[in-house]
Amino acid sequence: MTVRQPEVAPPAAPPAGPAPGPPRRRVWGDGRLSALATAALLVALGVIWEIGSAAALWSSEILPAPSALFPALRALAGDPRFWADAGRTGVEVLGSIGFGGVAGLVIGVAFWKAPLVGRIFEPYLVSFYAVPLVLFYPVMIVVVGLGTPSVIILASVMAAIPMALNTWVGLAGIPPVYLKLSRSIGCTRWQQLSRVALPSAAPFVLAGLRLAVVYALIGCIAMEFTTAQAGLGYRIRYLYDSFETTPMYAYILVVLTVSIILTVLLAVLERVVMAGRSRS
Amino acid sequence: MTDRGIQIDEVTVRFPTPGGEPVTAVDRVTQRIPERSFVSVVGPSGCGKSTLLGVIAGLQPATSGTVMVDGRVVTGPDRRVGLVFQEESTLPWKTVTDNVRFAMQIAGVERSEQRRRALEAIELVGLTGFESAYPSMLSGGMRQRVALARSLALAPSVLLMDEPFAALDQQTRLLLGAEILRIWRRTHQTVLFVTHDLSEAILLSQQVWVMSYRPGRIIDVIDVDLPEDRDASVVSTPEFNQLQNRVWESLRAESLRGFRHESAVGT
Repeated sequence: MTVRQPEVAPPAAPPAGPAPGPPRRRVWGDGRLSALATAALLVALGVIWEIGSAAALWSSEILPAPSALFPALRALAGDPRFWADAGRTGVEVLGSIGFGGVAGLVIGVAFWKAPLVGRIFEPYLVSFYAVPLVLFYPVMIVVVGLGTPSVIILASVMAAIPMALNTWVGLAGIPPVYLKLSRSIGCTRWQQLSRVALPSAAPFVLAGLRLAVVYALIGCIAMEFTTAQAGLGYRIRYLYDSFETTPMYAYILVVLTVSIILTVLLAVLERVVMAGRSRS
Repeated sequence: MTDRGIQIDEVTVRFPTPGGEPVTAVDRVTQRIPERSFVSVVGPSGCGKSTLLGVIAGLQPATSGTVMVDGRVVTGPDRRVGLVFQEESTLPWKTVTDNVRFAMQIAGVERSEQRRRALEAIELVGLTGFESAYPSMLSGGMRQRVALARSLALAPSVLLMDEPFAALDQQTRLLLGAEILRIWRRTHQTVLFVTHDLSEAILLSQQVWVMSYRPGRIIDVIDVDLPEDRDASVVSTPEFNQLQNRVWESLRAESLRGFRHESAVGT
């Protein structure tokens, strides 16, 4: 076996790997394409909707034309009652995301730190996941009373469950060598969690947050729908009951827009956190 | 005390097993590594090489016995001891520079100092030009260099390497081996290098320890009297072959024993 080898390897002659440039550009291109496609799709849908309404393919009482919705939306913008409803729902949704997200994160970390606790409580958490928690709303009303707190409590529970499970799974899947590394360089327990463990589990935590946001929104709107006295969900139901179709659709559009904005914000956050991480 | 280097004194590590009979991974090992020398440990897989390394690093408590690094008894992880792991240990969410700086941040090194030492270490391992690349853009060999740079940046007096090339292909191993030698000649840390590759061990070190399979004892110590400024071409010299045969002789019986044992456990 003759191995001739220069004693100093050329420093910048590494085995070929993907160059830092191209992948990033491709992602950008993809992003622009999908944004364009979404816009085109929305416009096309609007056009079909407008034409269908104009041709009276369906009654304007069932589905008013988009052109009729815009004045209704403008009217909402100047309506203090709308802002009161939107404010209440906004507080509920943000509160649920906040409380549920933090509670879920803490529970996930606790399950990871104390595997025994995790093993004991995991089945309940998972089965809670499958229960439509909205069912407990009447109970909450009896206990806490009608109003914002009862909605926030239940929606927080709904949001916390996927957050906790995802955080836990993410932390449990950390390569053991990361923890060995953090010990060997003298990390404190808090540094190990905040500088190594949570960043390593971030993709899972983010997936959990995504679900938490969706669940919080669904929970709040659905509970307002059933029994509340104010809020966007309540107003949609109220307008439905009183056959005010056009403003009802305007409200629905507002809720849709809010959910889209939340989704986009999460996607941005994900892009920031996942920078450089595509190790496929 | 002015006794620098590593002093291993009657170290024993036992692990409990589900079967009840504890496994003795390291059995009464007493060795000394003089300051600034490069020692390799070879042995069959499953012997206590990595465990012994863990004890010196302060990550694995010894059942009995003590280890002293630079005259101080090891009781836990210590920043004078740098570690390079076998597994992929670069953090994928940090750039090369931030990975190298990470250990210094935890150690509380001043910011400007962090940057200077990080760039120095990156240059030393030959990764200049990749400072702001993420690990996912690098090859396995380059990621191991990043891990090495992270340890070197802390300027440890002792460097422990646990089969750092195990996951790499043969060509990259050889290249990195030459790199390690080049770096060691510049920094001259006290190095303990764990490997199962005999030629790698002889190529790199001044002394090779042969470890037995359970209980893990150092059964042979072979001084490598090859020139210190050797390069990979030394592999083809008769002296090298002689050394290799000598180590293999000590190791063969042990490897066979380990192999039989693991096969028996497997069935």
